[in-house]
Amino acid sequence: MSTRDLSVGTPTVAAPRPISWRARWERFTGSYVTRTVLQALVTIWAVITFTFFLIRLMPGNPVTIYISQLMNTENITYEEAYARAAAQFAFDTDATPLEQYIDYLGQVLQGNLGQSITTGTPVLSLILRFLPWTLFSAGLGLLVSFSLGVLLGMMMAYFRNSPLDHVLSFFSSIMSAVPNYVLGLLLVVIFSVQLGWFSVGDLRGTYDPHLTPAFTLEFFLDMLKHAFLPVLTYVLGTLGQWMLSMKSSTVSVLGEDYVNVARARGLPQRRILTAYVGRNASLPLFTLLAISIGFVVGGSVLIEELYVYKGLGSFLFQSISARDYTSMQGVFLIITIAVVVSNLLADLLYSRLDPRIRISGEK
Amino acid sequence: MTAQAQVAAPRRSPLRGLAESMRRFFKILIRNKAGFLGFCGLVFYLLLITVGPRLVPFDAEVKLDQIAAPPGSRDQLLTRRADAETYTSLESLAGRTVGVVRDTGGATLVAPYAGTFTVREFRWRGGRGVPDALEALAAGEIDALVIFSESVRRYITAPSAQQAAQAETFADLVVSNPALGPVHLFGTDTQGRDIFSHIVNGGSVLIFTALLAGFLSTLIAVTLGSLAALLGGIVDRGLTALANFVLVIPRFPLLVVLASLIQLNNVVLLATLIAALSWPSLMRALRAQVLSLRERDYVEAAVALDLGTRHIILREILPNMISFVAINFIFAITHAMYEQVGLVLLGMAPINDYTWGVMLYFGRTRGTLFSPDGASMVLAPVLAIALFQVSMVMFARAMEEIFDPRLRTSV
Repeated sequence: MSTRDLSVGTPTVAAPRPISWRARWERFTGSYVTRTVLQALVTIWAVITFTFFLIRLMPGNPVTIYISQLMNTENITYEEAYARAAAQFAFDTDATPLEQYIDYLGQVLQGNLGQSITTGTPVLSLILRFLPWTLFSAGLGLLVSFSLGVLLGMMMAYFRNSPLDHVLSFFSSIMSAVPNYVLGLLLVVIFSVQLGWFSVGDLRGTYDPHLTPAFTLEFFLDMLKHAFLPVLTYVLGTLGQWMLSMKSSTVSVLGEDYVNVARARGLPQRRILTAYVGRNASLPLFTLLAISIGFVVGGSVLIEELYVYKGLGSFLFQSISARDYTSMQGVFLIITIAVVVSNLLADLLYSRLDPRIRISGEK
Repeated sequence: MTAQAQVAAPRRSPLRGLAESMRRFFKILIRNKAGFLGFCGLVFYLLLITVGPRLVPFDAEVKLDQIAAPPGSRDQLLTRRADAETYTSLESLAGRTVGVVRDTGGATLVAPYAGTFTVREFRWRGGRGVPDALEALAAGEIDALVIFSESVRRYITAPSAQQAAQAETFADLVVSNPALGPVHLFGTDTQGRDIFSHIVNGGSVLIFTALLAGFLSTLIAVTLGSLAALLGGIVDRGLTALANFVLVIPRFPLLVVLASLIQLNNVVLLATLIAALSWPSLMRALRAQVLSLRERDYVEAAVALDLGTRHIILREILPNMISFVAINFIFAITHAMYEQVGLVLLGMAPINDYTWGVMLYFGRTRGTLFSPDGASMVLAPVLAIALFQVSMVMFARAMEEIFDPRLRTSV
């Protein structure tokens, strides 16, 4: 490949040697970033297809349920009910399933997810109203638990077999085993109801309804206050896992030769801690991050419902309870796409932090 | 190994070999404190779901004056102060009149004594049953009263000013036997039923479903993982792509959506659904393991010796994976438990059986979660689930350490 490059390159210009378009294209398609992005796009396409099959073609699918519901409650003919369902779910009645599928793909790509069966509002506008809150609370929860977990995990590894390590190990293994909604229930029952430290009722919703959303400190603090319980639950639910993984990862890095060499070179302790041990030990955790994102966003259905935090998870549950299938389909799609995109970002971040991934991926 | 040992090996019966390895396993397990605790927890839960329901039958009887009673409450015998020494048990009341309030569980206590003393029943009538009975006792119409400790506390020692006058009327009454009838170890629920009996009876269905889901998920993972690794090529690529796809979809929302579309009316279906979504991560790990094991020297040696595919799979590859599979089976059970109880908590899974999850579901939907009296109604199932998960995970972690010597020496 390199010889061909040389032959195409113009020898008259001395400075940077231009690369052929073909080589550029090959480098582009062969690069780790492109491949990861392409993979994510294929996954999103597969998710959209899967949702289409789930909602339209599966026996006992929502469209048929909705049609029979309409026929029963409003006493109309099948054709009328079918037309109404088609309007709600945004599909063409005359088309074959394949045409419907292609149309569906186009609609989704344009952001048309149909209208909510219960309210008639476009599903996308509903989703856009709820999505930021889930991204905010789940993102903040993950960020806090990840940083705290990395810090505590390193401490556990540094003070191995000290009382601190034993206490932290004990708590982290218990916390990683207890389901997050159980932690949430405990928070409510013990700290709010029994000890009366805070009122769960006051913390409901995403912000105080008397305030208007604005970029003020007051509003921001109120937002934090309302997100406190969900974020705390996400942190407690995932912290143990970060601590345990960081500990074992740090322990193995501490035994590496380059750490010993760094010590022998007389590098300051802080530099060894951050640049040598911390950076390398936290690498495996980024692969866990991808799994954790899906878990936290998935768990938001339960946690948001428990704390009446009006995010996407709670909206998904509400639309399922109300048999609002168009909203359900839209929210599921968006949640999944959000997770795929977050996974993609985690992968890209990981490849930036660990060049080995990028290089071995490009081979 | 000497030749002698090789000769001696076949003579040892497999049963003794198993006993020997079990003994060694327990010896290591006892040294591993967390693992031993986890193991004890598992044995406890096993006893709880097998023997428990036989010892403590499910309490389905609605008892009006025992609603939301705190842990440790039970029935008591009440008399006037003058008779406190004389009437201390139901036996000592021969020929006398004993009062009970209907629908409060006391009737079952006095029923066997129907011949020895007269029983007078007070109707509940919108909450008047208890004060009526107390007034009758104060007035001397009955000699003793079998009544629930919580309702006595509510009337006699109530601190509110409203009931101060009542307290004066009942000032002459004392508890002559505070320990009558069964004790409500964890208190009672919103219908006055014993929570302890619900905890004892509410685990078996959950644990069975979790075991089944964990088993199915592990089975799918083992089958697909080995198929992908051993067949390779298009099968491998297809299965890996499928696993990656299922892995990236947030599992719980999908489960909730599917649960709303499919009529989940039995636990086998629920377990299958959970298993169908939870196999990919183990499948990928097993695929990698089989791929790496296939390259090991001893496997190559077995191939070179032409020991046969059957021998290679069963004797060389499988024994090296079995501990890994077993550990992940336990983790799969905990995941299935998480998802299952989560679905029940949202009301999306069958709630015919009164399980720990259903107790939490009612706690959430009936508002007991936010009532100060309802703590044990929520805490009891929460602890039952949390302790189950903790013991499972502790045991699995200990197994990891036992079967992976590198972990054992480094930590």
